[in-house]
Amino acid sequence: MKKQFKKLFLFLFSLFFVAQGYAAEVVKIGALYPMSGRGGLYGKDSEAAIKIALDEVHKKGLPKGIKLDVIIIDDQSKPDYAVSVAKRYITEDNVKFLFGVVSSSVALAVTEVSKNNKVIFVGTDHAATDLTANKFQPYYFRASNNTFQSMMAGAMYLKELKGWKKIAYIGPDYAYGRDQWMELKYALDKLGVKYEVVGEYWPKLYEPDYTSYITAIINAKPDILVAGFWGGDTVAFIKQAKAYGLFNKMKYFHPDAGGNYEVMAALGKEMPEGLIMSARHHVNWPDTSENKTFVQKFYKATGRYPSYAAEGAYAGILLIAEAIRKVGNADNTEALVKAMEGMKLRLPEDPKGFTSYIDPKTHQIVQVQAIGVTKKNNKFPPAEVMLGDFKVYDANKLWPDFKYIEYLKKAKK
Amino acid sequence: MDVSFLISQFVGGLSTAMLLFLVASGLSLIFGVGKVFNFAHGSFYLLGSYLAFQFINFFNNFWIGVICAILGAGMFGVVMEFLFLRRIYGRSEEVSFQILLTYSFILIIDDMVKYIWGPEYKTIEKPASLIDQLQLGGVLIPKYSIFILILGFVIVVTFWFILNRTEMGKVIKATAIDRDMLSLLGVNVPLVMTLIFGVATAMGGLAGALAAPLRTVTPGAGIEVIIDSLIVIVLGGLGNFWGALLGAIIIGEVVAFGILWVPQWASLLNFLVMVLVLILKPEGLFPQKKSGRV
Repeated sequence: MKKQFKKLFLFLFSLFFVAQGYAAEVVKIGALYPMSGRGGLYGKDSEAAIKIALDEVHKKGLPKGIKLDVIIIDDQSKPDYAVSVAKRYITEDNVKFLFGVVSSSVALAVTEVSKNNKVIFVGTDHAATDLTANKFQPYYFRASNNTFQSMMAGAMYLKELKGWKKIAYIGPDYAYGRDQWMELKYALDKLGVKYEVVGEYWPKLYEPDYTSYITAIINAKPDILVAGFWGGDTVAFIKQAKAYGLFNKMKYFHPDAGGNYEVMAALGKEMPEGLIMSARHHVNWPDTSENKTFVQKFYKATGRYPSYAAEGAYAGILLIAEAIRKVGNADNTEALVKAMEGMKLRLPEDPKGFTSYIDPKTHQIVQVQAIGVTKKNNKFPPAEVMLGDFKVYDANKLWPDFKYIEYLKKAKK
Repeated sequence: MDVSFLISQFVGGLSTAMLLFLVASGLSLIFGVGKVFNFAHGSFYLLGSYLAFQFINFFNNFWIGVICAILGAGMFGVVMEFLFLRRIYGRSEEVSFQILLTYSFILIIDDMVKYIWGPEYKTIEKPASLIDQLQLGGVLIPKYSIFILILGFVIVVTFWFILNRTEMGKVIKATAIDRDMLSLLGVNVPLVMTLIFGVATAMGGLAGALAAPLRTVTPGAGIEVIIDSLIVIVLGGLGNFWGALLGAIIIGEVVAFGILWVPQWASLLNFLVMVLVLILKPEGLFPQKKSGRV
């Protein structure tokens, strides 16, 4: 009899869990990342970071046993294609959130889909300030810094840096490159820094050969060269500029994406020392348990250290999970929007004493920016040179800047 | 603006031009001889970069790595021609099939390198003897750029010699004119086509291997170089080897000096030159002669 009761109890117990599992709501998230071509690395890294974040979220649990299911489709870095995927996500897959996107031009297209369909879009990588400024719409949130935050911190660094007056800029000839230069000049003017522009150079995105730009920059004799490249373009420019001895003739300053880990890894010991750079996430800063754990988990999962894109994707999933916890479900979009506004998130890139938060008016994550100088460090192979001697800039002084938003609205009318 | 700077800018433009020529010459050769427009030519450049990365690390020797990249890209080209392209020659839809088939190889090779070597950027160091620069008067030139310039001219002269002074050159030129007649004369035309395709893709591999120490080795890089190569061969005259050289030099120098005088428009200048040539001389500066000069 006792044995029979035991069996019955076990049967009912397992039935309870099966029923729970069956009833648990699955919340779909439609992610768009480049999974091929040059941007493929960022898509792959984001995918790995999403898995890490999902493991953590599900381990901690969500209300009513909700499970997050992230679908990833290659957006091919094409706005029109990404729009069709986003629409299909909404109409056929019934996703509750749109997610990801590396290219700003893709994000600017997808944010329109989000606005028109009232589906929350959590941007994790793209940096065009427009999305949380002049192109703001209430269903868009960004879980990584915009270029204005990087450039404002860059201007603060330049204000402290002595011994320069003449400045030149080189950046890719599209919105990302152009906006960085506009923002840096705006920030320098705002801080009252006096400077003389001796050259502006606009190679095309993915330019393979910078030789003629390099000789022209050397001839212009700036004290400091500001660069606005990202990814492989940074690698190619540094390799070619080093061959001409450019880094011995001027300071090199690259505050948004120059210090990305994937650049350090690609250049290995070819990366010159003394370059001033930053990134939206550093594998070796801050020295907190959160950052170390994230970096090690990523390494364990992929066999390589994460590019900056990974942390943005990780932050995006945590943002969605926290909003669902706060609201108690994923059905009430307006309540989720309210929950996300002002939300605090402890992230790997937060130093001790600071917690990232979503600015309620612009939906932009507010984070510190750390700018460092390249120096020998072989703790994160294959990189042999990493950023060090970081200077950290107060997040609240970087964003929001409503005067800049007004300036941007007029400039891009 | 002093003279040494202008010379330095000129040499910079020439160095850009020579790498451009190395990529475009293979594309031009295939088109000139086989009338095959190989959209995937940039992918052989990409393959050359990755093979060089692999074998330089394996043998710990830059030059052996480059040779392996040339052979590997050439062999892959031979296989592609023998197994796939050969089956569409002479069909009524050959042109559209060429585009579809070679374009599909862009996707296949791009995904293949990502699968084998991963998505992260790779890097190759220059050989130790070519790391630093030479100071010639007031002009500073990286030794590696000088090496590429010299190698480019060696390739030009070698090809000129082969095409104009050897029996093999005569066969190649005849293949460009009339494959049927050549076949009737007992020449194994399919074999010639396969070998030409192999040589052309090997040149793509060579360009990729030599460019790797200066550029980023990453999936997608092949598609980017093919656009500039297309401009070069359209400018020089489709299928004309020497036209490709001149086209590359024009593009290299126009961009080099455009950066000085109209930096805002520098990235558009090569397209502008191509548009002007297409309007004024649509057949290109050196159109392929019917008498068979390749």
